[in-house]
Amino acid sequence: MDNPAAAVEARGLRKRYGELIAVDGVDLSVDEGEVYALVGPNGAGKTTLVRCLTGTTEPTAGDVSVLNSRPSAVDRVRLGLLPQQFTPPDRLTARELVEYYSGLYPEDRVRETSAVLDEVGLKESDKQRYRDLSGGQKRRLLVAASIVNDPDLLFLDEPTTGIDPAGRREVWRVVEELSSQGTTVFLTTHYMEEASELSDRVGLMHQGSIVEEGAADELVAEHGGGSRFTIETEETVDAVAGVLEGYSVRDEDGLAIVEDVSLETVSKVLDLLESSDVTVQEFNWHTPDLEDVYMELAGEDCQPTDSNIGPQASEGDDDLTTGGEGG
Amino acid sequence: MKAEMKSFTRKPAAVFFTFVFPVILVALFAWVVEAEGDLFARSQTHYLPGYLAFVVLLTPLSRLSSTVARGRDHRRFEKLATTPLSRTDWFLAHTIVNFALIAAASAVIVAVTVAAAGVELAFSPAAAAFVLFAVVAFCGLGVVIGRVTGSEDGAIAMSNGVGFPMLFLGDTFIEPEALPWYVSPVVELLPLTYFSRGFRAATLESGGWGFDLAIVVVCAVAGFVAAVALLPWRS
Repeated sequence: MDNPAAAVEARGLRKRYGELIAVDGVDLSVDEGEVYALVGPNGAGKTTLVRCLTGTTEPTAGDVSVLNSRPSAVDRVRLGLLPQQFTPPDRLTARELVEYYSGLYPEDRVRETSAVLDEVGLKESDKQRYRDLSGGQKRRLLVAASIVNDPDLLFLDEPTTGIDPAGRREVWRVVEELSSQGTTVFLTTHYMEEASELSDRVGLMHQGSIVEEGAADELVAEHGGGSRFTIETEETVDAVAGVLEGYSVRDEDGLAIVEDVSLETVSKVLDLLESSDVTVQEFNWHTPDLEDVYMELAGEDCQPTDSNIGPQASEGDDDLTTGGEGG
Repeated sequence: MKAEMKSFTRKPAAVFFTFVFPVILVALFAWVVEAEGDLFARSQTHYLPGYLAFVVLLTPLSRLSSTVARGRDHRRFEKLATTPLSRTDWFLAHTIVNFALIAAASAVIVAVTVAAAGVELAFSPAAAAFVLFAVVAFCGLGVVIGRVTGSEDGAIAMSNGVGFPMLFLGDTFIEPEALPWYVSPVVELLPLTYFSRGFRAATLESGGWGFDLAIVVVCAVAGFVAAVALLPWRS
């Protein structure tokens, strides 16, 4: 392998299930202490890649190094894994579950149960059974079960899928804390906002391949394009363009799209339209984000859905959306 | 083991089917046997291996098969595979827990049978060995069933489909001679047959049980090896 400082390294990694190629020639390198987010919709190959890296499945071809060992030979005491859709025995309490997973490691490696529960914010709920915890609490408990051995390298496979935004942010806090302590985190997600928020680098995965990787803001700057101000009126787009002289206006399915409008300029554009008696029915201002980068690089055949790349569109801090007369 | 035992005690249905259900069946059988019909012509103690088979056979089959199927569906093995725990450790721990539960349930069944029959049974180390090795063998078979079925429901259905016929064909309640001729070879192939004959010989009839124990031990070894090899540690 090329990078001796890498916690995870893969070269030409390929995994085939019959006719289906789940992972197709992946090259990647994750440095020690780095948070790497692998992003892509369901079926992109993220989980299969994690399985190849953790040694829970055998790649069809390629080389993998995890903590400078083959996955099958790596010192498991140094690894942590939260598998996708993992569910533990649900009749055990939060404390018992942490103790159960702690019991699988040598005593000198195991963290104190109360400290682990405290770290994930579940010290007060330690006597509650898993089945009685909220979705966010359950996920944090599963993260706790993955860090009982203070791992050097932690794999989190879609740790926030299916939980509400508040629960998701609770998990983010835990990951940020682990990262600040120097733990290398390999995270998969289909939430672009999550990848942007948590990771040092993002890998965009599409149909088994990593189509691009880099820091989220660099990817957005390079591939995201400019901001877009979308206006819906009863007037024609040509009429809107006539009013907004000096702006780049184009027609997209009957909506007027004004390119490269800064947040400061939004009110100016609306004033111009109002002074020209153009009634704005609805408008939306959008700055490019990781989702735009993904769409640009992966193409239209991977349109995000509500179940995969959805939530950030309505939660993003950089979106300004409203409806109604005159904006 | 501690976690497994806690999980068990917090499942009322599991506790019922391991401890109460067999006692109910024993009581029913005892009543049928006492009725002195043609079918159950032997003494109560003759059917003790059959009574014990309710827990020695059915408990590990249903528990291990469903545990394996559930563990695979819930990605528990994938998690365990990245810890220092080995497949052998996992199977041993579950076998020990099952043996402890089955030994306790067996003690209850023996006590009920002795009370019903009004006879005394001496403790025999050989009888304990039969229970131990049979539990290992059937735990192994449970893992195999859990591995080859696609879901937890399928695992339970198949463990019942395998367990209940074996329960009645394994020289427990029905004499092999009373069965149709074409069933006899099947009887000789069932591990439970050797458990029943050996346990009976070791506790009641003072006959030779060495051959039967050897067969049960071979089945236990085969079950152990198959279980460890087939546990779905990797996807």
